[in-house]
Amino acid sequence: MLSNKLIFTKHVKSCVKATYQCLSTVTQPLPTEKSVEETKETNILKHPDYFQVHNLFTVKDLFDARVHYGHKVGSLDERMLPFIYGSRMGHTIFDLDKTAQYLRHALNITAHIAYREGIILFLHRGAQNMHLVERTAKECGEYAHTRFWRGGIFTNADKQFGAVTRLPDLCIFLNTLNNVLLQHTAIRDAAKMAIATVGVVDSNCNPNLITYPVPGNDDSPAAIELYCKLFKAAILRGKEKKKEHLNQN
Amino acid sequence: MSLLRTLINRSLNKPAIVTRFLCTAPSETTTPTDKQGGYAKAFTKFENLDSEQKVQEPIQTFASLLSNSKFVDLGDPEGKIVTGKIFHVIEDDLYIDFGWKFHCVCPRPKKNGQNYLRGAKVRLLIKDLELSSKFLGFEKDLTLLEADCVLLGLSQERQENKT
Repeated sequence: MLSNKLIFTKHVKSCVKATYQCLSTVTQPLPTEKSVEETKETNILKHPDYFQVHNLFTVKDLFDARVHYGHKVGSLDERMLPFIYGSRMGHTIFDLDKTAQYLRHALNITAHIAYREGIILFLHRGAQNMHLVERTAKECGEYAHTRFWRGGIFTNADKQFGAVTRLPDLCIFLNTLNNVLLQHTAIRDAAKMAIATVGVVDSNCNPNLITYPVPGNDDSPAAIELYCKLFKAAILRGKEKKKEHLNQN
Repeated sequence: MSLLRTLINRSLNKPAIVTRFLCTAPSETTTPTDKQGGYAKAFTKFENLDSEQKVQEPIQTFASLLSNSKFVDLGDPEGKIVTGKIFHVIEDDLYIDFGWKFHCVCPRPKKNGQNYLRGAKVRLLIKDLELSSKFLGFEKDLTLLEADCVLLGLSQERQENKT
């Protein structure tokens, strides 16, 4: 009788203990079995530079493309100061070591988004390089918008386009100011719609709302050509890798 | 005491891996070229000239690139003469690029006007590298995204000897 009681109490205690364990906050999550595909995906995401984007350019390439030239000191935005090397005779100079770091990060993100079949939108406001940007987008199979930006393209998309729309997953701004030197509306709207943005910010721009800023020159055609070339290469690398992995499976 | 001695010995016995990478290890045996005469040395040098790999340019830092750049050599840009190239022509306006962030726009001169075509090399006198100034009531400058230069004329180019 006593032994039964003991067994009974032991059993109850173990049950109660079990429930306590379920209800309590476990400090370490129990390991769940992941599928092979999921582990491969997380490995690709965790890799610091899976698409080897650091091979796409050198600091000398940036220098030759005049990426380090900024505007005059009078039009400098204080928020750009961390990216500035200094000024020479009143003209600001970007620190290309920092620019290279930010550009590598931006290219890495672009390649990953292209790998995961995301929609990429190139934006640029400037008559001189508008056609080049549109051509670049066409060549890598993505999209570009280099004309006047109507108010609700992102925020009121369904009504503006008349049907259910899929918004871009990444917006690449090759310059962040529009024709009247005010910040492009799409930067604020992309932030509202939780769309990642990559933007080339010059010394008179505001880098705050841009997810992956790339401090550098946005006025010389040589610099814009270089950015177009680099982003196109990153996107094509991402897409190539995706094709390769699909063929493997 | 003995513990200290073992620690010192261990630190001495450990190979200095870091220093080895930084220094160049001297060659123990003399190379055959040291004993060769002048002609033989030259012969061995020029023998493999075709198969010689291109010397890789040393990686330059941004600071060195900037300090050796033409922009820094310019100093105070006002009054300096530079060469530019015409990249666009609209009637009598010449759009000239001289290696700076912005281009400049100059009117076609009356003398020798028909020779100023796209791709022509010209000499310019810089007045201002960026047309920007503060307007009343604004905190920041307003830029015109253009440089201001005076067109001096076409630059005479000597043909380079092609070897």
